[in-house]
Amino acid sequence: MKNYSKITPEGTKDLLFEECLANRTVSSILGKVFSQRGFHEVLTPGIEFYDLFKEEVSGIPMEAMFKMSDSKGRLMVVRPDSTLPIARMVTTRLMNERHPIRLYYNQRVYRYNPGLTGRSNEVMQTGIELIGAKGKRADLETITTAVEALSKCVPDFRIELGNAKFYRALARKLPVSDSEREQIRQLIESKNYSALNSELDKLEQTQAVNMIRRLPRLFGGVEVLDEAITMCEDEKALRSLEYVREIYNDLMKIGLGDRVMIDLGLVQRNDYYSDIVFSGYVMGSGEPVLIGGRYDKLLDNFDRPAAAIGFGINVDALANVMMKRGNVPQKKKPDVLVHSEDGYEIKAIKYTSDLLGAGIVGENSVFETLEQALDYAKFNGIKKLTLVGEEIKTIDTGV
Amino acid sequence: MKPLRIALTKGRLEKDTVKLLESAGFDCTAVREKGRRLILPIGDGSIEVVLAKAADVITYVENGVCDLGVVGKDTIMENGRSFYEILDLGFGKCRFALAGKEGTDFFSGYEAKTIATKYPNVTRNFFEGKGMDIRVIKIEGSVELAPLLGLADAIVDIVETGSTLRENGLVIIEDNVAPISARLIANSASLKLRKAQIEELADKMETERKKMQ
Repeated sequence: MKNYSKITPEGTKDLLFEECLANRTVSSILGKVFSQRGFHEVLTPGIEFYDLFKEEVSGIPMEAMFKMSDSKGRLMVVRPDSTLPIARMVTTRLMNERHPIRLYYNQRVYRYNPGLTGRSNEVMQTGIELIGAKGKRADLETITTAVEALSKCVPDFRIELGNAKFYRALARKLPVSDSEREQIRQLIESKNYSALNSELDKLEQTQAVNMIRRLPRLFGGVEVLDEAITMCEDEKALRSLEYVREIYNDLMKIGLGDRVMIDLGLVQRNDYYSDIVFSGYVMGSGEPVLIGGRYDKLLDNFDRPAAAIGFGINVDALANVMMKRGNVPQKKKPDVLVHSEDGYEIKAIKYTSDLLGAGIVGENSVFETLEQALDYAKFNGIKKLTLVGEEIKTIDTGV
Repeated sequence: MKPLRIALTKGRLEKDTVKLLESAGFDCTAVREKGRRLILPIGDGSIEVVLAKAADVITYVENGVCDLGVVGKDTIMENGRSFYEILDLGFGKCRFALAGKEGTDFFSGYEAKTIATKYPNVTRNFFEGKGMDIRVIKIEGSVELAPLLGLADAIVDIVETGSTLRENGLVIIEDNVAPISARLIANSASLKLRKAQIEELADKMETERKKMQ
């Protein structure tokens, strides 16, 4: 039998020293931003029932989830997303809690990616959910939290706005079957201009058709919003655009300038987003590092309707970018190694904890002889060695 | 600013793309005289060409190490994942077809058919759309051999003129599995972060393509 005890499964890896530190640093910077703004941290189980993530609700294809069965033969999945478990939690254990509820999480999510493409199946994700609040104030609060979170890590991020309602309003007007509508949506999502054109050429050239034809190209600066507003005749679609414009203007007032982009072609499949959506991009990462939006209908699935908005950040991707740029702390060397002579072990342990109490980074030597301890200190770049005996002496290791 | 990186599928698509880029006014001498180098500057150096195998073009673009790529629709259908497909370049035209031995009726009989192909995903999707159960056998080289040797009932492969099929006693059973041509693809983050530069290049390529047709 082949032995797999020395390798990690595909799409996973050990995080060592700098990489681990970078990851934790990003998590802790973001956690601080969230908790300072009144969000409270929660952890959800690593495994859940498959029913929670049914594709109609989650938009996650069945084949992308890690599955297993419990002792009663029920289908379980390894957490592929954090928003749905939080929705479950809010509508059950927190059902009597006063709204709005402000939560944040920092945990791993697991999804199968097609093999051998260099993508991780295990991603550290952190994010917030603001539940039981609708309207512009809640939207602004969430988006500005996203902006602040990213700016604490990478100054040159971009934030992109869209509105899920816009495409839905237009798509409703297309005289096509559901499967054709789904095909059109896929073509917009992949910005496949040529195939979308030939698909739409078959239809009567109404205003909605022309608008959808432009949709994949409606991304960029605020000018695309103006273009869409001038072109749009559908009442509902127009209102959704004007709302994006309002949020855009408010973000300008915060001083985000050309950091804000627009993409009206953000049309993910089956996703639970119902209104404003936003993503964050950073140079050096081939995929968005932040994805979020309003999901007012999601909690209906748990029979406790409530308006909600949130976002998730890919901590690994952000840590990776920061590491490439050298913006994360290095592995810290101890300031001092404390070594004891025979019979003075307890004295040395007490001495070390006093040092640590004073904020010094120190290591307690586990070597039998002073010579070994010195050699270790030199090799690891520890500048000082404190020898604890009858007296306490500090030796310069000469590194 | 970093040069815009465009990955080209080595071989015919590379030559056609270079021709298109040259008529759009980019100096491609470095690519024409590439020797063994695989990363080459074109024009004033604001664009870099990377030469790769078809499926690798997709991998490089998807991971964001190349901003753009030129690759056949066949490769996209077989390996397609998440990127933007922004332009049909019009060259490298051919089609996927289902072909079998002359004189046999592919759709008759009850047993599940065996299909030999270089494109197992395309084949599976095609028959899934028909609601037909089949067995797929992946063949790396001349797929036409498989039905002749009795390994498969039919093949799904790329057809240009159909002469290879005819010479080996195979006939096309279904021709419209999918039309194929070269596509310009873009990394989703690159398209957002370098929109102006990418759109300018894509527009130039589209204008030239229209002139050539």
